[in-house]
Amino acid sequence: MDPNQPVQENYANPKTCFFHILFKAAGLAFYILSALFIDNFVIIFVVTVLLAALDFWVVKNVSGRILVGLRWWNEINDLGESVWRFECLDQESLARMNKKDSWLFWWTLYLTAAAWTVLGIFSLIRFQADYLLVVGVCLTLSVANIVGFTKCKKDAKKQIQAFAQQTIASRVSSTIQSAFSVV
Amino acid sequence: MSLTDTVPLHASSQSDIDEIENLINASVHSGPATVLPARPPSPPRAQIPPVWDTVKRDLSRIVSNLKLVVFPNPYREDPGKALRDWDLWGPFFFIVFLGLTLSWSASVKKSEVFAVAFAVLAAGAVILTLNVLLLGGQIIFFQSLSLLGYCLFPLDVGAVICLLKDNVILKVIVVCVTLAWSSWAAYPFMSSAVNPRRKALALYPVFLMYVSVGFLIIAID
Repeated sequence: MDPNQPVQENYANPKTCFFHILFKAAGLAFYILSALFIDNFVIIFVVTVLLAALDFWVVKNVSGRILVGLRWWNEINDLGESVWRFECLDQESLARMNKKDSWLFWWTLYLTAAAWTVLGIFSLIRFQADYLLVVGVCLTLSVANIVGFTKCKKDAKKQIQAFAQQTIASRVSSTIQSAFSVV
Repeated sequence: MSLTDTVPLHASSQSDIDEIENLINASVHSGPATVLPARPPSPPRAQIPPVWDTVKRDLSRIVSNLKLVVFPNPYREDPGKALRDWDLWGPFFFIVFLGLTLSWSASVKKSEVFAVAFAVLAAGAVILTLNVLLLGGQIIFFQSLSLLGYCLFPLDVGAVICLLKDNVILKVIVVCVTLAWSSWAAYPFMSSAVNPRRKALALYPVFLMYVSVGFLIIAID
């Protein structure tokens, strides 16, 4: 990681970006190519779904935190109710996040979901219910991450607004205080 | 699948959660009392724990959930506590494993067997959960999915045994035993979720699903 950013910003976390893309691309590539070469549906299913599950885990636990500073999870509180938590880093750290990293993060998420949707439409047209099952599982996992992180982003925006109001309020009150202390 | 900091915290993830929480709390607590929001000097980028620690944490959660659900333990009577840290990785592995075992045992139509087994188990878990919710029961959707998935573990064991030994009588006995075990594992959670008068309505479909999986195991040739 390079604390002194060069003028032309580079990826701050190339290894994480690589892994973020790796499993997505591998899953899609395997699914598309396997239809040509492998005759065994079970292998296609298990490997594709495994890659999609690995990708889900990597995005949720690793690249979400490192690339965009967001995380989300579910808790069951003492009353037995399920609570979804969406968190983001504070403003300063968010501002310091590498722009290229977050661009890559979001766009690959969206593109993967779109690709799976297209593949799903293909298998729907061909009436292949079992391949539709594979695509369905992979699409569910992609969409789950998109929804989770988008809710984190909204939470981040709310935090920005709250912080801005807080800062304005504190500056106003401190200005008044210093005005009174001079008098 | 959850990245959680419910008490007790797993030691491996303590440091990074603390770091990130400090960052968040710093921005929340630097309130109107100060002239300028007193921000602590920007901490170095929060040390994300190595990936291996996160993997270990998730694996140990799967093991502990399995032990809570399938084996006798003091928390069984309090289902809310039993599967507090639900996760879907265990159920995912067990469903895929069962599908693979059934598929391997089948001599023809292997792909169909796998696809059907997976779809039936996954859809079955969702439908059983909806059943409880529609009966006016109080459960949490993902917690119930997680539980029904973990209760497949005995059937997985039974399927492996049936794969190895092809004797029909042995298969019937093994399936009956593992079926009873699965139902016993699922019982406390499902029954406590609904009104006592509706207990049978909630439990019967669960039992039915496990019986049909049992038949699949016996009948696969």
